[in-house]
Amino acid sequence: MVSLTINNRKIKCEDDLTIIQAAKQNGINIPSFCYLEGVHEIGSCRVCVVEVEGAKTLQASCMAKVREGMVVKTNTEQVRKARKVVYELLMSDHNQNCLICSRSGSCEFQELGEILRINEENPYEGAKSKEGMIDSSNPSIERDLSKCILCRRCVTVCNEIQGVGVLNSQNRGFASFVGPTADFELMDLNCTYCGQCTMVCPTGALKEKSSINEVWEAINNPDKRVVVQTAPAVRAALGEEFGYEPGTLVTGKMAAALRMLGFDDIFDTNFAADLTILEEGTEFLGRVKKMLNSESVTLPMITSCSPGWIKFIEHNFPEQLDHLSTCKSPHMMLGALAKSYYADQLKMDSKDMYVVSIMPCTAKKYEVTRQEMETDVDAVLTTRELARMIKDAGIEFTMLSNEEFDSPMGLSSGAADIFGTTGGVMEAALRTVYEVVTGDPAPFDNLHVESVMGLESIKEGSVTFAKTLPEYSGLEGQTVRFAAASGLSSARKLMDDIKKGESPYAFIEIMACPGGCISGGGQPRPTTDEIRIKRMNAIYREDESKTLRKSHENEAVTKLYENFLKEPNGHISHELLHTSYVKRG
Amino acid sequence: MIKSFEELNLVKFNRTQMLRKMDKVINVCYGAGCISANCESIYREISSVLKEYGLFEKIKINQTGCIGACDLGPSMYIQPDDVYYCKLKPADIRVIVEEHIIKGNIVTEKCYFDKVKNEYYEHLRDIPFFSKQQKLVLKNCGFMDYHSLVAYIGNDGYHSLYYVIKEKTPKGVVNEIKDSGLRGRGGGGFPTGVKWELGAKAVGDQKYIICNADEGDPGAFMDRCLLEGDPHSVLEGMAIGAYAIGANKGIVYIRAEYPLAVDRLSDAIKQARDVGLLGDNIFNSDFSFDVEIRIGAGAFVCGEETALMSSIEGKRGEPNQKPPFPTDSGLYGKPTVINNVETLANVPMIILNGTGWFKKFGTEKSKGTKVFALAGAVRNSGIVEVPMGVTLGDIIFDIGGGIKNNKKFKAAQTGGPSGGCLTAEALNTPVDYDSLKEKGAIMGSGGLIIMDEDNCMVDVAKFFMEFVQDESCGKCVPCRIGTKRMLEILERITAGLGQEGDIEKLIELGESIKTSSLCGLGQTAPNPVLSTIKYFREEYEEHIRDQKCRAGVCTDLFSSPCQNACPAGVNVPGYLALVSEGRVRDAYDLIRRENPFPAVCGRVCTHPCESKCRRGMLDESLAIADVKRYISDKVFEMNEPFRKIQFPPTSKKIAIIGAGPSGLTCGFYLAQTGHDVTVYDSKPYAGGILRYGIPEYRLPKDILQKEIDILKQSGINMILNTEIGKDISFDDLRKEHDAIYIATGTQLSNTMGINGENLTGVYPGLDFLRDVNMGNEVKVGDKVAVIGGGSTAMDAARTAIRLGASEVHVLYRREEKDMPADRREIEEALEEGVYLHELVTPISIEGHRKVEQIRISNLSQGKFDSSGRRRPVKEIGTEFLMDVDMVIPAVSQHSDLPFVDKEDIEITDWGTFVVEATTGMTKLKGVFAGGDIVRGPDTAIWAIADGKRAAIAIDKYLGGSGNLNKGEDIEIPVARDEESPDEHMRFERRMLMTNERAFNFKEVSKGYHKLNAMAEAMRCLRCDKR
Repeated sequence: MVSLTINNRKIKCEDDLTIIQAAKQNGINIPSFCYLEGVHEIGSCRVCVVEVEGAKTLQASCMAKVREGMVVKTNTEQVRKARKVVYELLMSDHNQNCLICSRSGSCEFQELGEILRINEENPYEGAKSKEGMIDSSNPSIERDLSKCILCRRCVTVCNEIQGVGVLNSQNRGFASFVGPTADFELMDLNCTYCGQCTMVCPTGALKEKSSINEVWEAINNPDKRVVVQTAPAVRAALGEEFGYEPGTLVTGKMAAALRMLGFDDIFDTNFAADLTILEEGTEFLGRVKKMLNSESVTLPMITSCSPGWIKFIEHNFPEQLDHLSTCKSPHMMLGALAKSYYADQLKMDSKDMYVVSIMPCTAKKYEVTRQEMETDVDAVLTTRELARMIKDAGIEFTMLSNEEFDSPMGLSSGAADIFGTTGGVMEAALRTVYEVVTGDPAPFDNLHVESVMGLESIKEGSVTFAKTLPEYSGLEGQTVRFAAASGLSSARKLMDDIKKGESPYAFIEIMACPGGCISGGGQPRPTTDEIRIKRMNAIYREDESKTLRKSHENEAVTKLYENFLKEPNGHISHELLHTSYVKRG
Repeated sequence: MIKSFEELNLVKFNRTQMLRKMDKVINVCYGAGCISANCESIYREISSVLKEYGLFEKIKINQTGCIGACDLGPSMYIQPDDVYYCKLKPADIRVIVEEHIIKGNIVTEKCYFDKVKNEYYEHLRDIPFFSKQQKLVLKNCGFMDYHSLVAYIGNDGYHSLYYVIKEKTPKGVVNEIKDSGLRGRGGGGFPTGVKWELGAKAVGDQKYIICNADEGDPGAFMDRCLLEGDPHSVLEGMAIGAYAIGANKGIVYIRAEYPLAVDRLSDAIKQARDVGLLGDNIFNSDFSFDVEIRIGAGAFVCGEETALMSSIEGKRGEPNQKPPFPTDSGLYGKPTVINNVETLANVPMIILNGTGWFKKFGTEKSKGTKVFALAGAVRNSGIVEVPMGVTLGDIIFDIGGGIKNNKKFKAAQTGGPSGGCLTAEALNTPVDYDSLKEKGAIMGSGGLIIMDEDNCMVDVAKFFMEFVQDESCGKCVPCRIGTKRMLEILERITAGLGQEGDIEKLIELGESIKTSSLCGLGQTAPNPVLSTIKYFREEYEEHIRDQKCRAGVCTDLFSSPCQNACPAGVNVPGYLALVSEGRVRDAYDLIRRENPFPAVCGRVCTHPCESKCRRGMLDESLAIADVKRYISDKVFEMNEPFRKIQFPPTSKKIAIIGAGPSGLTCGFYLAQTGHDVTVYDSKPYAGGILRYGIPEYRLPKDILQKEIDILKQSGINMILNTEIGKDISFDDLRKEHDAIYIATGTQLSNTMGINGENLTGVYPGLDFLRDVNMGNEVKVGDKVAVIGGGSTAMDAARTAIRLGASEVHVLYRREEKDMPADRREIEEALEEGVYLHELVTPISIEGHRKVEQIRISNLSQGKFDSSGRRRPVKEIGTEFLMDVDMVIPAVSQHSDLPFVDKEDIEITDWGTFVVEATTGMTKLKGVFAGGDIVRGPDTAIWAIADGKRAAIAIDKYLGGSGNLNKGEDIEIPVARDEESPDEHMRFERRMLMTNERAFNFKEVSKGYHKLNAMAEAMRCLRCDKR
């Protein structure tokens, strides 16, 4: 503990805190801008500067650590002046087209201006450094550098959290900008489109490439049957856009809103998640069986639901692609089924069907353009885009009553719900795999695989098969080790081991975004660990609230197999539900 | 391998023995400057000639590091004769070998030539550039083979390292360096010993010592010289530092732009490793240390230590917030000490000679010496090393040899873009960390850029701002955007688009950037701007308010530098072009648009235009005044009538008091513009000082009268022999006129304040000249002393000669080069037999009732005064008497104004009027003033400029637009695009021979012949064509 004085108040605090943290604990807010607690602390914007007695210049309170006897002033004239000048300078190099910016109203830069009470004409207007620098070449992320204020949060996220390293500071001085090296655009590089950069961007510089207009067009086209599906993580976060506490589930209201927007069929990606478990579980057991027969197989098997992750492995570990499950991601499966099975049911041409996926993800926008499956889904909207559409349509979301998804692809198990969080796919798979192997429910408390729950970036666990059914007798007494990782840096660690042949796991779940889809690149901002946990808890609540909690018990899925697919990993499944990968290097 | 003292000493012993066998050592400078001047060819030639004479056994040739005098290369220094040959060509070598090396005769004409003193210096010890230096750190640079480890050891190298390893504890080393008072030479001046102590105390399994060789200040190359000239001294310093802090790994971070330094340092590292002076168990001790080189890509910011470490770690070279300091968490998070090259090079000699020895150099708080890269407007530039505490003036004027081309010192910039500028006020400031800081500059790493009157301070500030703006890493907002905004404002001002409030904005922004930036670069980036505003605010204001760049640098503000330099703004290239086409009448009219006195100014103008003439950079500046004189000669000769072009009458009445150049100019333009102008003068003739102050041989009265007559055609009424205050009261004058312009000049000579000034035979200069000019009988003495160095003194001296004085002595208190009189006048006076005594001052005038003797004291150059010149001080005991019978004091003059109440009109301590800066209006409404009455004694062209400016102000005051009627527009010949101009000096004008000038007042200059005038005019480069 150290004691120090902030604004004439004597305080005591832990000795490893920064000034901004110590001040906050004691009810003193220091305005800040580039700072993202625990994630990004580089002191570059100079908004959080404070006076520290004895220091020659002002100190960035997000970086300066507290010291015994330190005397800090956060609100002197010099400090206020410095903050004002910094704001005005930032403003002078900012595209001030705020009225038509998608971040207007949720822009941190705007908010800071209000906090600092900037209300005079800017005295420092001058040349703009990044005018017209727009990168909209790729299907997922749009970069408008004229709005970038070089806080570099995205750089930290892209490099340190995701380990992708596409976004970096380029050039020097006034010519500095954040982006790929040379004149490359994201499309030219190994960007995974995870969209984590869009989550931390305080302004409108980084955002998802919007598909709202295309979707409206489809809805307004009388010749199109517009099918919509929503991912499990969306329902746990969409409410935040309408003022609900993080972690509020708005599944029913969401279904109602989608109906009001004019979608023809409101399906649930969860349905396909259950299907995925059957396909992927079967694939896994297939590999295990082969292994038991001493055939050569590639293990560990790794999940393939996260398109950011898929692009990451394709670029960084092209020789390890065999480890991936061949399953398409759930929404792609549903898209494929909608345009085959469901279109057949409706006796319509699949060309007249338009499938929209509401996803917590920006990489999904890219996924639907992949050659291997480009007809399955027509458009992807992020959670944020859906919220905008709802507002745009004049729907008072909070006043909606709960409605249900449509059949046949609306029913899902709790196992599918937890697909939205890190560790969820693994848990869902184990619930089914264990029961398939042994005929008994998985031996976990309340079906939860504690070892892979939570926000930790790499989690691992094991399960020992007991009393196996005859066809899996080879697994009797065998312990299978598994892991779940979220965030691409963590993925890289696991992959490095695999590459070296040192991975101890049989089955690995990887989600590109830290915490999984609940904090996907298309989710509401801000997303902090606190909010991640609330969303995660909501998802587990949804799971626990259901009686149907295992994918293989989903009758709609069973029926689908009976009527259409015949068997998991069967011929039609392979045609419709599985895919292949590309070595990108 | 060198593992013991015996082995080390053996190397030294052998070296000494070898040198003993040599007759001479020839040191050929292999500094970067000399290499580019092809010193290699000199070296080869020496080798071959020595070989030819079989002298290899007796003469040793060294390739040395930079000796410092970079503009003198290629050069060589011969020991033990202490002879320095410079600006060598291969062809010179044979003579030097044959004469000097073989016969022992110094080849004087290949030695250093002092252009100012006009003499050769044979010995290095006599050349002021070297003799005033104190070479400690640079002791080997220029005097030792840079690539020889043996030579370094021969000069006691690596002895200090041996000593500390064997005799001292790390703590002992730290204490010794602390005690020595050594401070960081990179610029910050942090005590090196304290830094080492922090490094030694820091806990860590791995520690580093880094040598910061990322020298980035524009114009600075001290560290480069050291690394290239004496790399082992830096390595030894690093090893000692490493021993002190407990590091086993050293890194030299050096910029990629220094390939030569990298090569030489790499070689040195390899040599040291080969003999075990770097590596494991040095001198068989537990201490192991090795060094590697990291090459930086040349980003200025990487000189900042946290950025430097980021760069070494392979990251973007970007600073991080401190604390933590590198000594706690540095390279790869390990305790790291970072020292500058020069700091480290100081270490071995401190250990070797002891702190007591080291502390003898420098000041109380700044010990030792400092190496500077002296550059800019000084005569001698290069690398210099001085003890801390010498004054800035000593460096500039003694070592630097003063300002090039006799220009005036304006400012010195220390510390590069992080530093600040120092003005003439600071010339007596001792150069040490604290004194410079007190003056608002910093020591910096050693860049010292000298600026003269041709440097525009706004432009200088812009230059540094451009630099930091380019070099800002872009991480933090104030530095990234703030410096850009400051630069934009400066760009605006220098382009003539400055706005009211820009200066305040620069200050506000600058202060904010200083306090809120992340690292040292940003925190100091605004310094050059803030310090130039502090000292040269009026230059900023002139740019903004008047769109004027007095230095003639900001080309957007003027069409040609000569026109810009002319106080009256005469279109010089325009009339030169007209002359070159033979259109002299148009040329005269063009001049008259801005200055109604072409004939006068062609003769007596101090022609500031010529000093800014760009042709001067090629061969010699144009003889602008002489061409102007030619124009007036021709026009007067043609005697064509002048057309009166007067605007319709305005019925406004203006009185002008004083028919000198200022009053007549004002009257001329106002009359042409339609106003009713009356000029009053107490004398019988118009012309003022032109008529009564300047002697006939410089400005013939009929010429002056002719020009005044032409000027009177504008419609001026002239009332002469009428004194205001006596014949007409000032109040009446005010009542009868709508505006008044007072331009009465200065009429009274200042007294000198010494005994004997009231003796008969003391004749104040102005009175003397006036009486001669009025044709009064003036009795001149036989032996005349003239006191002063201005044009009045020269006029008086030459007039005295003409009146028959047998000896005329001009006594001047400074040196001849400092004399304010025009150079040509001084030269002509000397031709005519005037004696000139420099550095003397009269003490008293002796005599019984009349002058018999003058007591004189010699003076010596003292401290610098605010004009940037040394203030002469009396040398005690040097007084002597000179027999004279006439003394003419000509030491400035003043005015007296009986007609106006000093209370009504504000007057300065010097007796001049206080006027509003832009209009020239006094405190009295409608009463304007200009010329010497406002400026004090000044030149005719300024008086003319003031008169014109007052005319504009008066016209506006009376409701006009201020657009004066300057006559018809004149079409100026279009400049031709020519191939590069052929070099040619000025064309000669015709002069009276000295004997033709004796005892008469005939005009000395006879002006140009037509052909020469046209040819001279054609030398004009037409800077106005853009």
